[in-house]
Amino acid sequence: MRRLVDKLVTLVFWGTALSLGALLFGVLGFVAHRGWEAISWDFIFEPPRNGMTAGGVWTPLVGTLELITVSMGATIPVGVGTGLYFSEYAADSLFTHVLRQSIRALAGVPSVVFGLFGLSLFVIFLGFGSSMLSASLTLACLSLPLMVTASEQAFRAVPRDYRDASYALGATKWQTIRKVVLPSAASTIITGVILSIGRVAGETAPIIFTGAAFYTPGAARSLFDEVMALPYHVYVLATAGTNIQGTRSLQYGAILVLMGLVLGISSVGVWMRARLNRGK
Amino acid sequence: MSTRKQEDADLVEIKRMLLRLGKMSENAVVRAVWALKNGDISAARSVIDGDDALDELTERIDGSCMSFNARYQPLGQDLRMVVSTMHMAVDLERIGDYGVNIARAAIELERKPLIKPLIDIPRMSAILSEMLGKALSAFDIEDCQAAKAVFLMDDQIDALEKQVTRELFTMVMERVDRLEQAFLLMGAARTLERAGDHATNIAERVIYMCTGKTAKASDYKNPKNKRDDQDEDKNKDKEKEKENRDEA
Amino acid sequence: MDKTQTKSDRDFSHPQVRTENLNLYYGADRVLQSLSFDIPRGCVAAFIGPSGCGKSSYLRCLNRMNDFIPGARAEGRVLIDGTDIYAPDVDVIALRRRVGMVFQKPNPFPMSIYENVAYGPRLFGVRDREVLDETVRSSLEGAALWGEVKDKLNTPGTGLSGGQQQRLCIARAIATEPEVLLMDEPTSALDPLSTARIEELIRDLKSRFTVAIVTHNMQQAARISDHTAFFLLGELVEYGPTSQIFTAPEDKRTEDYITGRFG
Repeated sequence: MRRLVDKLVTLVFWGTALSLGALLFGVLGFVAHRGWEAISWDFIFEPPRNGMTAGGVWTPLVGTLELITVSMGATIPVGVGTGLYFSEYAADSLFTHVLRQSIRALAGVPSVVFGLFGLSLFVIFLGFGSSMLSASLTLACLSLPLMVTASEQAFRAVPRDYRDASYALGATKWQTIRKVVLPSAASTIITGVILSIGRVAGETAPIIFTGAAFYTPGAARSLFDEVMALPYHVYVLATAGTNIQGTRSLQYGAILVLMGLVLGISSVGVWMRARLNRGK
Repeated sequence: MSTRKQEDADLVEIKRMLLRLGKMSENAVVRAVWALKNGDISAARSVIDGDDALDELTERIDGSCMSFNARYQPLGQDLRMVVSTMHMAVDLERIGDYGVNIARAAIELERKPLIKPLIDIPRMSAILSEMLGKALSAFDIEDCQAAKAVFLMDDQIDALEKQVTRELFTMVMERVDRLEQAFLLMGAARTLERAGDHATNIAERVIYMCTGKTAKASDYKNPKNKRDDQDEDKNKDKEKEKENRDEA
Repeated sequence: MDKTQTKSDRDFSHPQVRTENLNLYYGADRVLQSLSFDIPRGCVAAFIGPSGCGKSSYLRCLNRMNDFIPGARAEGRVLIDGTDIYAPDVDVIALRRRVGMVFQKPNPFPMSIYENVAYGPRLFGVRDREVLDETVRSSLEGAALWGEVKDKLNTPGTGLSGGQQQRLCIARAIATEPEVLLMDEPTSALDPLSTARIEELIRDLKSRFTVAIVTHNMQQAARISDHTAFFLLGELVEYGPTSQIFTAPEDKRTEDYITGRFG
């Protein structure tokens, strides 16, 4: 009887895992199948042409990369710093507790709300205008809760033993953090960064109001230019293009490129993490 | 407390064996002297025959103590108890051997009429028997005061041995043909005196076992003089210590 | 036994660690009660007692690791080489360089063997590669680990066996050339063979360092220490030559503890 239950439970878990895998590969397969014919070197390295009914995705691809870079540039230091504050410096007070919970709650806020927030703060109040900077900062805000929580967890996961050993050798707090805590937490933080990038790369709502362009002739050259972004590009092609039906393969191709991009960045992250872990 | 169940049981068993060995050794000496006094050769033989059992028990005690040490690595009073027991078993086994020696002497006398009625040697044997009884009951109840009584009794045995020897010397000087018998009897007295020393050792062991301090029988025999000396030594030590500190 | 005796007698007047009326509080709890005793130079002092008796807390007073516990407060004096380590102007960082520590669980940093040992010296600004190389070598030799790791100094310290890791931690602790080495149950996570090697190492180390070791293993204390202190409920019940503590302790409570009648 007990063995039967055991087998049944095993089967159920196998089933869930299998269906999740099936779902994932189903989506991937579907997109790949539909977008495959559009993919070519030209498709990747050419800007959209003919009112975005032909050509490639070079401009939105670069735009998305730019958005990722700038937003990560903002979110990593702030997120890691805040995580560090929570795990190493903050006293266990009501204030810290409220602050931490607020940040966690922020993670559940719909992304369109971030878009409106970015619009009022960066675009209007700070006067950055509709620009890559505003869009990136908005994306940074969006991914900040994840970064903070991930890095706080990463720091907390560093064994007390390491700190004790470091202090006992006469290290100051900052020396201990810099030489022991940060390196030990790095691999977990990288996981957080990968997740953030995945999120940032795919977001449309926060950038619509803050800096995403319907169309620009070339990639953004300064922080204050508007940018094209892959997800918004797909959205535009699929909902507001001049030839929605005719550009289906372009749409799927763009999605495929976006997924490839995220996968590529994640792979780099995983590789880095593995390298770091090997040193342990 | 409950963690010590097996240890305590083993210790009780070791103690029980040692007490039995004590009884056997005591009996050996007492019987041998009785055989000597009454010319009872069969009693003497039974003492000699009984020695194997005594040796065997000694070995068993030794083995039990060794395995107790190996199993529990005892510390503190347990350690003192086990190590003391091992030493005491050796002392008792030796006393048993002395019983055999005296029994052999009894056989050698071959029911010859004694040159004198034996009075002091049986007295020595009685005192020894009392010493062993006192020392072992002190061991049994772990009472160091009771053990101290043994030290003074050793003096009585020593005095009797001197007296017996003197007496036999005189008799030999009167008639040289008494020499052989006198020699045997002197040997028996000497043996009993040695047995007394072993009984004293046992008492010392009991005191160490109970208090953790080494006790010397000589410290108790002339209590007054000794104590003064000790105090003086202590003062000297203290002065030395003070000097050392001052130098530092 | 006699040798130990004379050695400690000679050194008692020059204690390396002198504790005077030390009280330690965690908030309102007094976890150490008026401790006063001396640890002579170049000897191994073992602290025994049931869990929660304060022996580890005392150990952590000696390098002020208790400072990290919120609400911890020490009163009284602890003199290491004559300097009160609880004086207001004491540099705790410098103190911890003089008093090394080895922990219960082997805790090498997630770095290479070399970097683990070089960690302390680097903290104090040693940059010269040759000096570092030499320190790493001599420390690993001092911890009886050099022969086993000299060909793989750049591999992770965490890749070593438990016993090797603990010796690496000892090497790391002695790389800063401390005067006193604190050990908090250093072998409790190790197998018997590794334990034996660490114990042998501790006996070697005492020629260069004064060693204070907390242990739950009384046989270990008996094997390696010159002096033993028995703690109970934050109190120092008895302190004396190891041979005496384990054969004929003076206090009934010590006797009961070492014979397993409680605790």
